[in-house]
Amino acid sequence: MKNRSLSFWLFLTPTLVALALVVFIPMLEGLFYSFTDWDGLSFTKMVGFQNYITLLHDKAFVNAFWFTVAFVIVTVIALNVIGLGLALLVTQKFKGSSFLRTVFFMPNMIGGLILGFIWQFIFTQGFSALGSALHAGWLENWLTTENTGFWGLVIVTVWQMSGYIMIIYIAYLQNIPQEIIEAAEIDGASAWQRFTKITFPMIAPAFTVCMFLTLSNGFKIYDQNLSLTGGGPYNSTQMLAMDIVNTAYNSSNFSLAEAKAMIFFIIVAAISLIQVFYNRKREVDL
Amino acid sequence: MSHKFWKHLATVTMVAGAALTLAACGSSSAKKNVKITILQGKVENNKQFKTIAAQYEKSHPNVKIEVTSIGGGTQYDPVLKTRISSGNAPTIFSLAGPADVKQFKSHEADLSNTKAAKAAQPGTLDAVKTDGKTVGLPFNVEGYGFVYNKKVFREAGIDATSLTTYAKLQAAVKKIDSMKTKLGIKGVFALPGKEAWIMSDHLANLYIGQDFNGNALKLYNSKTMPFTKNADMKQMLDLQSTYSIKPVMQMDYSAQVNQYFSQGKTAMIQQGDWIYPTIEQIDKKFAKNDVGMIPIPVKGEEGKLPVGTSLYWAVNKQKSSAEQTAAKNFLDWLYTSKAGKKDVVNTLHFVPAYKGYSNFKMQDALTQTVFKYSNENKTIGWAFPGYTGTSWDPDVAQPNLQKYLSGKQSWTATVKNMKDGWKKQQASSSN
Repeated sequence: MKNRSLSFWLFLTPTLVALALVVFIPMLEGLFYSFTDWDGLSFTKMVGFQNYITLLHDKAFVNAFWFTVAFVIVTVIALNVIGLGLALLVTQKFKGSSFLRTVFFMPNMIGGLILGFIWQFIFTQGFSALGSALHAGWLENWLTTENTGFWGLVIVTVWQMSGYIMIIYIAYLQNIPQEIIEAAEIDGASAWQRFTKITFPMIAPAFTVCMFLTLSNGFKIYDQNLSLTGGGPYNSTQMLAMDIVNTAYNSSNFSLAEAKAMIFFIIVAAISLIQVFYNRKREVDL
Repeated sequence: MSHKFWKHLATVTMVAGAALTLAACGSSSAKKNVKITILQGKVENNKQFKTIAAQYEKSHPNVKIEVTSIGGGTQYDPVLKTRISSGNAPTIFSLAGPADVKQFKSHEADLSNTKAAKAAQPGTLDAVKTDGKTVGLPFNVEGYGFVYNKKVFREAGIDATSLTTYAKLQAAVKKIDSMKTKLGIKGVFALPGKEAWIMSDHLANLYIGQDFNGNALKLYNSKTMPFTKNADMKQMLDLQSTYSIKPVMQMDYSAQVNQYFSQGKTAMIQQGDWIYPTIEQIDKKFAKNDVGMIPIPVKGEEGKLPVGTSLYWAVNKQKSSAEQTAAKNFLDWLYTSKAGKKDVVNTLHFVPAYKGYSNFKMQDALTQTVFKYSNENKTIGWAFPGYTGTSWDPDVAQPNLQKYLSGKQSWTATVKNMKDGWKKQQASSSN
């Protein structure tokens, strides 16, 4: 600790102050408010764990929780499979591979809100036109049921984010030394063996990063949810973040929303950290 | 080296601090003028309010008015709360109903003695009375019903104004439905299932409100919700959804108003006078010639239009008395002076909630209808502001009505959930 001189702390101070001001202090404040009956303006009394008990019996919150969990499971798998698949595709040497990279990455440059509105149009107008032309009933009435709302959200999220995940996988794929793969080839390893025994372990760090990103993004998603389904029909596609916002701003129940946000934070942090811890173990060094 | 650094830092900080202090002094002592700030929730009238404020500043040179507008019911409250907690509270703000009156109690000045409050039409102040004080002044009154396409009705040979009972309406709807292709429409109604408030606020008001005489405050304070007329509501909701353009659950406000009604694809929609500017933007000629409004026929309330106020002005009592007086004077001027009245009707296109406007003519067919019913006192009160600010509306009423419309839940269960949800909310909010 000797070398941590004054200059060490001096360099650290701006970041620490900024972090404290916009993260730590508001969070502690939020924690405090979750034990009160705060309505966004003032509070009259401390209520102990009342808000936390209320939220356990809050059907909307519980429903949003399970909906979000299902959404996270599906999108994490889909995003990583598709992202890695695209990365493998565009790292093959063929004409137009860099053009394809740009194309795959493009959806990520459109904001989530706008994307939601664009896809809402596709789901309601495009899908139903296609459905009536092909006499495919399942293409009609999208976003009017919980199921179609769920898959609508999954499609939009995967479409938007897989390009981003692809970029990360590409970076790691290109870092694999060619000689290892060549050596394996000479030793007679098949393409599948080369992938599972060399490529996959070598990109394990990318896996850690991508899992973390897709997991936390899946839990925290709000803008697509808002613009695509708005939580409807009958609040069935409301995800955790949206339920919290609505509790605070529509029902003016800020203290309950703070309690929900605390639970939300603990869940996201715990799952993300456990995931990072386990995936780290699987990473290999040369 | 480090000493020098700290000295520099100290100097810079002090200079900046001094500059700020000087600036602060400058703004408080240099002018004797009063500055009032307005934060209001009718974003569609932002431009008009700014024009009016500029005009007022011209005739009252010592008053400066700053207008800020925030859109939509859901985003207004958080902004107002933020402004209040950051010490930047507005002088004049808006309230949406009894729930807001309760929330912002510590900031509401008594407006009972203003000229505007005395000129307000009977009943318009009911929702903003608390402890014998009047804390809000209505922006305007609005009305809703079935906004219909006159051309379609003419071609179908139906006189819309004769549809005064449910039976007559039903017969007309069936007749129009049978002539759909000939009339060039996709459906008799366009019911926006996505826009739950159209059902939970406007439609439900006609039936839930009857138990409370259309009084929002009574409803807000009631422990129970009898909802005795729920069968009538089911009948009307079923009629609208059966003969609506499908799929109902995919339709939102803009599909209902912009896409279908304004382009002549539906015979009528359940909407209010506020949609006129939208129709006008899309088809000026259609808006001018072929748009009308009839009351929704409610058993026992035939020939009456639901007319009420969605927003009220409030004056912040934590501001200096000079500022409060200036604010009250401005509101009095707007609603009771000759120049102000002209602005209310001709610039804002408001249907006035005040007396003394009998020689004015409203600007369009929909506001004319509202004004007519309002003057003739043939109105049904707006009880729904008694629940729109509470969590029952978005958390209980709207999802349950949507479940019913999607066919996921029976009407009996829907009504039961709504009543139980209200009881539960009222029991927990009273302590």
